[in-house]
Amino acid sequence: MYIIGNLTIYLAFALALYAFIIFILGIFKQDQRLVDSGKSATLAVFILASISMLILLILLGTSQFQFEYVYSYTSTDLPLVYKLAALFAGNSGSLLMWTFFLAMYTVMVAYSKKMKNNPMVPYISAILLGNIIFFYIILGFVTNPFGMLDFVPQEGRGLNPMLQDPGMLLHPVTLYLGYVGFAVPFAFAITALILKTTDAFWLRMTRRWTIIAWCFLTLGNVIGGWWAYLELGWGGYWAWDPVENASFMPWLTATAYLHSVMIQERKGMLKVWNISLIILTYALTIFGTFLVRSGVLTSVHAFGDTNIGSYFLIFLALVVIFSLYVLMSRYQLLKQDNGQFDSLLSKESSFLVNNLILVGGTFAVFWGTIFPLVSEAVRGYRVTVGIPFFNAVMSPILLALIFVMAVCPLIAWQRSTVKNLKDNFLIPAILSIVVAAVLAGFGMRAAYPIIAYAVISFMLLTHLLEFYRGVKARRKVTKENYLVALYYLMVKNRRRYGGYIIHFGIGIMAIGIVGSAFDDETMQTVPKGSTIEIQDYVLTYEYLAQRREGVNDVVFANIHIQKGGKDIGYIQPERLFFSTWDEPHTQVAVHSTLREDLYVVLSGWESDERATFVVKVNPLVEWVWIGSFVLTIGSIFAVWPGKYGNITPRYRGPKRKVS
Amino acid sequence: MTKNTKVILAGSSIIVAILILLIAATPGASGTEIPLAQAVANPGQYEDRYINTEGFLVEESIDWRADEIELRFDIEDEDGNVLSVLHERVRPDNFSDGVIVLLGGYIQPDGIFYAETVQTRCPSVYEGEKPDEDYDPSVHQDVGNDD
Repeated sequence: MYIIGNLTIYLAFALALYAFIIFILGIFKQDQRLVDSGKSATLAVFILASISMLILLILLGTSQFQFEYVYSYTSTDLPLVYKLAALFAGNSGSLLMWTFFLAMYTVMVAYSKKMKNNPMVPYISAILLGNIIFFYIILGFVTNPFGMLDFVPQEGRGLNPMLQDPGMLLHPVTLYLGYVGFAVPFAFAITALILKTTDAFWLRMTRRWTIIAWCFLTLGNVIGGWWAYLELGWGGYWAWDPVENASFMPWLTATAYLHSVMIQERKGMLKVWNISLIILTYALTIFGTFLVRSGVLTSVHAFGDTNIGSYFLIFLALVVIFSLYVLMSRYQLLKQDNGQFDSLLSKESSFLVNNLILVGGTFAVFWGTIFPLVSEAVRGYRVTVGIPFFNAVMSPILLALIFVMAVCPLIAWQRSTVKNLKDNFLIPAILSIVVAAVLAGFGMRAAYPIIAYAVISFMLLTHLLEFYRGVKARRKVTKENYLVALYYLMVKNRRRYGGYIIHFGIGIMAIGIVGSAFDDETMQTVPKGSTIEIQDYVLTYEYLAQRREGVNDVVFANIHIQKGGKDIGYIQPERLFFSTWDEPHTQVAVHSTLREDLYVVLSGWESDERATFVVKVNPLVEWVWIGSFVLTIGSIFAVWPGKYGNITPRYRGPKRKVS
Repeated sequence: MTKNTKVILAGSSIIVAILILLIAATPGASGTEIPLAQAVANPGQYEDRYINTEGFLVEESIDWRADEIELRFDIEDEDGNVLSVLHERVRPDNFSDGVIVLLGGYIQPDGIFYAETVQTRCPSVYEGEKPDEDYDPSVHQDVGNDD
C-alpha cells in the first residue's frame, strides 16, 4: 500500500508535468498527436488521483496506524463513516481531495462533448495542469498523505470530536468543489486572453462553470454555518472569522461576475472588468487557502502553523503576476468595440451598481481580515477588528444589494422611462411600506430591521410581479392554464428564472439573518426540578442521565418545555464523552419553528446535580436554511440542460489546427 | 459629458460611500492584539481599550462558581508570565490543561482581565500532539441515573 500510494502520487506528478509540456508543445507545433497524448496523460492523472484517494480511504477505513495520517486522525472505535471522513480532517488528505477535484474538472473539460474540436481545450488543460502540478509538488514533497511512522501504534489519536458530525461529511466536500471549481473559469479566462476571443460560446461556458462552483461554495458556507450553529454552542452561525471571510470573498466576486457577464453578453461591454473578476475570484480562493493553512492570522479554526501557507503565497504571486501579464498584453484588444451606456436608468447601469457594491463589499471584508497584518506592519502592534466592525459595514452593503436586486430585474435594458418605473414598482413599493407599518404596529421599534424587512419584501414582491407578468403575457398567446404557463415560461428561460429563484432564496435567507440578530439569552445554574424562563418559554429541568452510544458516553439533561402555558415536549441537550478525547463535547438541543429557535446548551453540572444551562431564543434562524435550499434549487434549475432554448452558441474564436 | 462618464461618476460615488463606511467603522470596532507578557507588565497602559491576547490555560487555576455563572482562571505564556482572567459566562468546550485560550476583553489596572469572549484553540485541532492520557470514565461517574 505504501509503495502503491506513493507511486500514484509521484507518477501522477510526472504525468501532469509531461501533459503540461506536451500540451504547450502541441500548441506551438500545432500537432494534434501531441495534444491527444496530453489528453490521455491528463486522464491518467485523474485515474491516479482517484487511486490515491481510494488507497487513503482504504487505509483510513482499515485503521492502518503505521501511516502517520491514519494514526493522526482516526482510532479503531471511530464509526466507519468518520474514519473515511478523516480524509479531509488534515492537511495532506484535504489537499489530496483538492487535487482529485482539480483533475476531475480538468478531465471533464478536456473530454467534454461541447468542447470537441475546440482549440481552447489544450490551453485550458495546460492551465489547469499547472495548478495540478503545484498540488502534486505539495503532496509529493511537503506533506505526503502516505508518510509512514517507524513503528506501528496500537491505537490512533482519534478524530477531533468537533469533526464527528454530519456537517463534516458535507461541508468540506461542497466547499472544496466550489473552491476548486473556480479554477475552471479562471482557465477559460486566461485561454480567452491568449486566443484573443471572448465570444458567446466562451461566455456561456464560463458562466455555467461559475454558477456550478458558486452554488457549491454557497452550500459549503451555509452547511458550515449550520454545523457551527448546532455544534459550537455559541448560538450563531457566522462569526466573521478570517477563515470564514476567506470563503466569503470569492463568493462575492463570483456573484459580481455572474451579473456583469450579462452586460457583456448583451452589449459587449465590460470585458476587462469581467475577466478581472474571474482572475480575482480565483486569486481569492488561493489567498483564502493561504490564510487557512498558514496560521498568520489568529483564528479558531486554522489548520495549525505549517509551512504550507508559504507555498500557497508563492503560488498566489505566480498566478497573479502571470494573469496580470496576460491581461495587460491583451488590454487594447479587449478595449475595442466597447459599448456605451445608453442611460443612467437602465438594466446595464443597475448591474454595474450591483457589481460595485459587491466588489466594495469584498474589499471591506478583505480590509477587515488583513487589518491586523497591515496595522502590525505600520504601527508595530496588531489591531484587530471584530464582529461589530463587520456587522456595521456589511449590513448597509448587503441591504443596498437587496435593494438593487429588487430594482434590477424590472428595469428595461438600455433605457427606462418614468412610466415604466411606475408600472413596475408602484404596487410592490406600496405593499412594502405596508409591511413596514405592520411591523411597527406590532411593536417593532428599532429602525434598522423595519427598513430591512421593507426592502426585503420589496425585493420579493417585485420578483413575484415579474413571474406574474410573464405568465400573463404567455397566457395571452397560448391560452394555457396558469400552472402550465408558469412551467413553460420557466423552462424556456432557465437562466433567467433560475436566477430569480436564487434571488428568492437570498431574500428568504436575509429574513433569517436580520431576525437572528435579535436573539435573547439567559444563563443559569439550577437544581433538579426547577425552571428557567425566557420570553414566553418555561423550561423545567427534570433530571440528568447517562447513556452509551457506541464507545462514547453521553450525559444529557431532560428538559420539559412549555410555551405560553402550552405543552411542547422535551428536549435533551447533551455532553458527549469521547473515548479518545479528554474533554467532553457540547451537543446543542434545538427546538425549531419558523418563528424562532429555542436553543439549549448543557454547559456543566455540579456533584449535587445542579446543572448550568445556556438558553437562547434565536428568531427566524430556520429561514436561513430554507433560503439556502431555495437558492440551491434555483442554481440547479438554471444550469439544468433542458430541451428548450438551450442551444450552446457556436465557437467563433480563432481557428487552430489542434483542439 | 457622455453617458459613460455619468455612469462612472455615479459608480465612483458608491465606492466613496463604501470607503467612508469603512473609515468610520474601523476605530470604534477595533481591538489591540498584544502578547500576554505585555498585558501582564503594563496593565494600566491598556485601560479602556479592547484587548485580544492568548496564552496556555493553567488547569489548577480554574475556579468555576456555578451559581454566579462566573469563571476565573489563569493563562500563562512560555516565559511563565501569568494573567488572571474573569469571565462571566460558562466554560467553553475543550477547556483543559495546556489548551490555547483566545481572550477578548478589557484589562483592569489591578491586572485582572475581564474577558468578554473566551475561545479555545486546541494545539491539536488539526496537526497535533497525542492527548496526555486516555479518557477516564470516573470523570463523570457521579452523575445520577434516576430515570
